[in-house]
Amino acid sequence: MNITKQNKIIKTDYLVIGGGMAGLQSAISAASRGLDVVIAEKADTRRSGSGANGNDHFACYIPECHGDDFELVVRQVNMTMDGGPWQDPTMLRLWLSRSFEIVQFWESIGIRMRPTGKWNFEGHSVPGNQRYHLKFDGQNQKSALTKAALDRGVHIMNKTPICDILLNDEGRVVGAVGIDISEEQPKLIVFQAKAVIIAAGGAGRMYPGITPAYMFNDSACPADAGTGHALAYRSGARLTNLDMAGGHAGPRYFARGGKGTWIGLTSDIHGNCITPYQDKPSRENGDIASDIWPGSYRERMQAGTGPSYMNCTETTDEDLEYMLHDAFVSEGIDSITDHLKQRKINLRDSMIEFGSYNIGFSSQGIDIDIHGMSTVPGMFAAGGVAGNVKGSLSGAVVIGMVAGEYAADYVKTVEECTVENHPTLQARLDQCNALLNRQEGAHWKEAASTLQNIMNDYAGIQIRSENMLTAGLAYLRQLREEAQAHLGAANSHELMRTLEVLDQIDIGEPFFLMVLNRKESRGPHHRSDYTYTNMLLNDKFQTIVKTKNGVVLDFRSSW
Amino acid sequence: MPPVIDHKKCVKCGYCAQICPLDVIKIEVRGKEKKTVIKYPEECWHCRACEKDCPVKAIHMRYPLSHLMLHMKPDGGKH
Ligand SMILES: Cc1cc2nc3c(=O)[nH]c(=O)nc-3n(C[C@H](O)[C@H](O)[C@H](O)COP(=O)(O)OP(=O)(O)OC[C@H]3O[C@@H](n4cnc5c(N)ncnc54)[C@H](O)[C@@H]3O)c2cc1C
Ligand code: SF4
Ligand code: SF4
Repeated sequence: MNITKQNKIIKTDYLVIGGGMAGLQSAISAASRGLDVVIAEKADTRRSGSGANGNDHFACYIPECHGDDFELVVRQVNMTMDGGPWQDPTMLRLWLSRSFEIVQFWESIGIRMRPTGKWNFEGHSVPGNQRYHLKFDGQNQKSALTKAALDRGVHIMNKTPICDILLNDEGRVVGAVGIDISEEQPKLIVFQAKAVIIAAGGAGRMYPGITPAYMFNDSACPADAGTGHALAYRSGARLTNLDMAGGHAGPRYFARGGKGTWIGLTSDIHGNCITPYQDKPSRENGDIASDIWPGSYRERMQAGTGPSYMNCTETTDEDLEYMLHDAFVSEGIDSITDHLKQRKINLRDSMIEFGSYNIGFSSQGIDIDIHGMSTVPGMFAAGGVAGNVKGSLSGAVVIGMVAGEYAADYVKTVEECTVENHPTLQARLDQCNALLNRQEGAHWKEAASTLQNIMNDYAGIQIRSENMLTAGLAYLRQLREEAQAHLGAANSHELMRTLEVLDQIDIGEPFFLMVLNRKESRGPHHRSDYTYTNMLLNDKFQTIVKTKNGVVLDFRSSW
Repeated sequence: MPPVIDHKKCVKCGYCAQICPLDVIKIEVRGKEKKTVIKYPEECWHCRACEKDCPVKAIHMRYPLSHLMLHMKPDGGKH
């Protein structure tokens, strides 16, 4: 089979790569400012990405609820999972200060931001502080945002993953390349765009999951496979904080995001609470233990003091009913409810073992400025793919909005630039045809498995050292060579997966270089040969950028 | 086979195949016959989007034993 090529070039002002939460909001904001906007989405924007089935906590600052002391708000949000280190303080202030605009807009398009009729804040909260996580009902968020985008004239192309960004000679964005995978035979689609936003989510599946044989058993959406990071790195955009990636926590063998929605207490095997934050399950606060220290479940297992459980046996009947049949539904994790029911597990009398999930890159990636722009002119980024802003859903959509607004000004400053003869097009066609025509080609899972092993065995948690990392990087490069020479794909679906794994190998490289270059231990990064924390690196973010003259690593001040 | 399709109910509209975030489901056409197949079951995220959106409720989930919910009575497993 060969890949075909669509003759018609799709021309637009603003191409949105990934119609997830950040991408849809960015498209809406840009279109509202009069831009011609196209979304290219790997799946279908009505049900794609980590917000596919819902979200239920929206970190925000609502002055009528939280008061006028913004500094207090910043300080307290910084104590939750949406604050903390590895986020530029200016970016935290930016998304917090504009979060209420999104809340109001979403309410206007039919997302229930106050299902109880009042502004209600629950979960992810530090006892004693004000609560900032608005408890909303996001089960229709993707269909509502999709409709709002279409209503504003946004053109949505589903089943079209993007695989390249096109730059002109000056290094500015002029377009992109995608592959239509809606049919068995793939089709190359060429985009001419004055600006793009990378909103392809975090980079999951880089490390072995909790059930290595089932690679898609992951807490975040497994379609978010790191292509966004790879697109940016290959284009010469600066990345940051990859070396600070950690993992989430949740049910041990059934990986789900949304741990903040559980109403229970982290307990030992005897049901005794093992965290200092509260002694009774609290609907208001949730159980913040897993937010503050998601790695604790692994550490307790390794120390022989585990296992640890989410214990809902002391939760009131009313709260339990609410959690399973209301909150989990809003959050899009009612597969837990369904799974418990099918297995006849009653949370009244049984605790659920929690585990720490392996490393994923989410909020580690593209270094952006206050307009959401990367160091490459015309390349914006928001959401899990961005490297210096957190805030989960809220951070993703506010920065998506900011980028869409700024893009409206930016595109006025650049000329359209034709892309039909761009050398990347032929190179990508040739590569796809090689993969599609390779008889007895290696299946993508072979390379994915080796990538995950290399990441875990040579750059895993607690085992990093010069020798281990040097060897791991060499093996990663060997894998890339072998994968490029031997991978094969039988159809468009397999082609998508094959290109994903090649992209994942591409971002393994800057990751290894960054952890090698960070000669200290800090946060989730432990070096067995540099066990101390280097105070001189406090408040500094490590960055990496690929230039014509080689790779440049640096430590920049946070701002 | 994570999502299970009741082929007696399925009207082969293709909606589940369209919206699945992981491109797990396909409508296979053989001559005049159409069939909804779970083509890539190992790539299922168990998100239930297909189950929720199927217009005739022809889908239910089966959670694989690999994804077992480990649970324990708070008496330390004595019973
Ligand atoms: C079950 C669950 C519950 C959660 N609950 C909450 C919550 O209550 N509150 C909260 O703040 N956060 C929550 N989160 C996190 C939140 O969903 C994410 O922070 C948010 O979705 C990030 O937005 P994003 O746009 O970066 O990524 P996504 O929303 O995942 O969107 C990325 C999109 O890019 C597409 N894509 C990937 N690669 C390509 C490509 N190459 N070309 C084109 N498209 C591509 C994907 O298909 C996807 O649609 C939850 C996550 C999960 C999994
Ligand atoms: S959505 Fe339902 S009816 Fe339509 S093809 Fe899928 S299973 Fe069949
Ligand atoms: S449960 Fe989700 S991932 Fe699995 S087939 Fe259905 S829509 Fe796809």
